[in-house]
Amino acid sequence: MIQNKLSFHQSSASLEIIGLPDYSNNENKDQISIISKWKLTIVDKPLIEGKIEHLGPIMDAFYIYSNLLIKNEIPIYESKLIDIKADNLHIHNIVLKSSKPNVKPLVLKIGNSLLSDTINCFDQLNESPKVRIKKTDITTNIPKNLRFGFYKKVKFFNIFIPPFIAICSLILFSSSFIYFYSPFENIDKKEQINP
Amino acid sequence: MRKAYVNNNIKLNEFDALIRITVEMSKYLYPYIREILKSKEDIEENPVIWNDFNKRFIELINERFNIDSIRVKKLLNQAENNEIIIKSLLILSFCISNKGYQKLKNFLYDF
Repeated sequence: MIQNKLSFHQSSASLEIIGLPDYSNNENKDQISIISKWKLTIVDKPLIEGKIEHLGPIMDAFYIYSNLLIKNEIPIYESKLIDIKADNLHIHNIVLKSSKPNVKPLVLKIGNSLLSDTINCFDQLNESPKVRIKKTDITTNIPKNLRFGFYKKVKFFNIFIPPFIAICSLILFSSSFIYFYSPFENIDKKEQINP
Repeated sequence: MRKAYVNNNIKLNEFDALIRITVEMSKYLYPYIREILKSKEDIEENPVIWNDFNKRFIELINERFNIDSIRVKKLLNQAENNEIIIKSLLILSFCISNKGYQKLKNFLYDF
């Protein structure tokens, strides 16, 4: 069976996706849902290729690293498959670890321009209606202080918003049954009973 | 930070419009942004583009910003402004996709 091939280019980087459509989902002939192979070509750097289970984690690694790079002074991303570290503000050190035994990891050094080219290739892939990527779970070793930075706003709201809403709703609900004590009414009633 | 005598807060729709314009401009200017970043990477071999950009950046800051402000002084200090400029250029270069508007908005809210 002839496989479909789609390419995404951005300046010095290009990403090639090879695969087949999922005919059980009535997909078009030119769609790719079952990715069999992908290749990331960066000018002057060794070719990076792998299977579908590697593509998701590598894309996530680049996205998370680019976020860390913008928000922190020392960005580091570590996982079973890929490590990315900044040598300085301009050079990024990428270590791609092979899943096969006795294969040395591939080390690449890329600059900011190549990093943005690569991320833009991934963006094109994500936005392409012709390719469907199933997200895989990844284990990452992002430093704890950075993780706290990511989630602290969300956690803060998660902790305080539910009790706040509960108290507000209690106040609103109970206010409809409120009874204001009026001493003058009582005096009048007593006078009517005992004239 | 700007040279202005009236302090008007930006409205939400104006903020959105500015983000959209910035994203469209960065799509158009991506090749230039990329070259500036590349020039800074190998500054010894190719310093012209970075130096020109930095010179023009400082000229514009002097022209349009309130240079008595401490934050603006930081932008003018060449030893300190490198990181700010590179990060700003990186943010722009990451936001040239179709979802760039949402990405840039997220980056700005997280800042």
